[in-house]
Amino acid sequence: MTTTRTLAANRFQPIDPQPDDSQPMPNQTNKTLAQIRTELLTTFSAADWLSYNHLVGWLRDTDVASHALKVGDDAPDFLLPDADGRLHSSEQLRRNGPLVLSFFRGGWCPFCTAELCALQAAKEEFESVGATLAVVTPETRDFPRQLKRSLGLDLKVLSDVDYGVAMSYGVLFRVPYETKAHYSGLGFDFGARHGSPVWMLPIPATYVIDAEGRIRGAFVEPDFTIREEPAQILASLRQAASAP
Amino acid sequence: MELHQVRYFLAVASTLNFTRAAEQCNVTQPALTKGVQKLEQELGGQLIYRERQLTQLTDLGKEVLPMLERTLASAEAVRRRAQEFQRKDVAPLKIGLAPSISASLVLDPIAEIAKFLPGLHVELREGAAKKLVDLLLEGEINAAMVGDVHDVPARIDDWSLFEERYVAVLAPTHQLANRPSIGIDDLRETVLLERAGCDVAPKIQQSFFPEKPPQLGHCSGHDLHLQHMAAAGFGVILAPEHMPRLPTLKTIPLEGDPVSREVRLLAVQGRRYSPALDAFVKVARLRDWSVEVPDRDVPHAAVPEVARAPA
Repeated sequence: MTTTRTLAANRFQPIDPQPDDSQPMPNQTNKTLAQIRTELLTTFSAADWLSYNHLVGWLRDTDVASHALKVGDDAPDFLLPDADGRLHSSEQLRRNGPLVLSFFRGGWCPFCTAELCALQAAKEEFESVGATLAVVTPETRDFPRQLKRSLGLDLKVLSDVDYGVAMSYGVLFRVPYETKAHYSGLGFDFGARHGSPVWMLPIPATYVIDAEGRIRGAFVEPDFTIREEPAQILASLRQAASAP
Repeated sequence: MELHQVRYFLAVASTLNFTRAAEQCNVTQPALTKGVQKLEQELGGQLIYRERQLTQLTDLGKEVLPMLERTLASAEAVRRRAQEFQRKDVAPLKIGLAPSISASLVLDPIAEIAKFLPGLHVELREGAAKKLVDLLLEGEINAAMVGDVHDVPARIDDWSLFEERYVAVLAPTHQLANRPSIGIDDLRETVLLERAGCDVAPKIQQSFFPEKPPQLGHCSGHDLHLQHMAAAGFGVILAPEHMPRLPTLKTIPLEGDPVSREVRLLAVQGRRYSPALDAFVKVARLRDWSVEVPDRDVPHAAVPEVARAPA
């Protein structure tokens, strides 16, 4: 039996700006990602809301998430370097049990860093059910190293150099002009971070891949502020393990 | 976007003919057209002009082509690696190194790749940056590592790997050998061994000797030749910090580190990456090169400290 947790793009509801001057520091411990999300959204400026609603609306209209691989599909294999330039193959990562593969946007995205911290906190639990965890970023050079250092992460952070893996999982999109303008204005140069003149990003997605390379769980969410809770991933790992 | 859409677009881009592109991709022409249209929708504009006799890439098509070629090549390299592995194929990888780039830099990446490509067979070539660019374009080498390089053709991809400073290298018996650092005035008074064809020479000239040229001693294009001559007391060499040195030589930093350069990786765009080249480019673009210069953190000018965006 497999679990289907693919969230359709139509789940997205534009959120109205709620002006709030307080700047809560997201405290990762004991909070769900949904709670942290709510806190982070209160820090949005009007420009952030505009950009957010535009990007998520655009992703919904172009139905980018419909390309994403689904439960039951074969998971494309890959060979990617980690933050230290050591190579990891998918075959190796899923050799001894299921692989949790989570695509995130980059170390500059607070929703991603919250997710990474939550995954870090759940890492031992994943391992206790025999699963291996790997997170995938489009960032290159020493950006993944810096991210690991700054968050104190002990995770396999793989760099999807040139986006080949995100593309083969169907979660890659070209950053629309308006979004590019917004992030450029904030001082983020994805070109330099990714080593690519064309700006691309993945839709955040978390896959559970079994030892045979089949997708057993797929969480694909065009609203980049919504991530799969580690507890949910664990539940689907346990379910996959009990299934024949 | 989807792999097959990208494949269709790349076939049209290379044939400039929808019928031939459809044949190449083994699909009907309507299916190919539909795939390209969906990709155009997602990329936010037309990629191809379709007029009666004329099929041409639009500006957007030209802009995204190299990127999509690389992404597809990267996605497909995995499948080809599995095939090569099964057939126990030899995986050749020819890397060009500029004279100021030591082979010591690529040893660890080669060892890393060989773990996954047992058939890996590396050939190293040395040449000046210009020559290496020609060899890349001719397909004689697959990748190159160079220092400062100007006028890289648009067909060549170019990534900055790391920055490093230049240091003075001299015999322990040299009159400057006991200094903690060497200043510009000292260098003006001493004999420098000339590195023939050096890509950093104009920078050195500009920083140290804007008016009066340096006192140049003997000359060679080979780092090891220069090192032997420096060890014999013939003069001082200015060398990139990563360069391994004869044990009889001493290294002294230049006051204020006035000369530094970027080490860059070059590879030809759009050419089908072999699994070996794909792995090399990936490892090179993630590797922590500062380990090659253990005494010092390598400056990364372009890297801001833990910057965040709200949305």
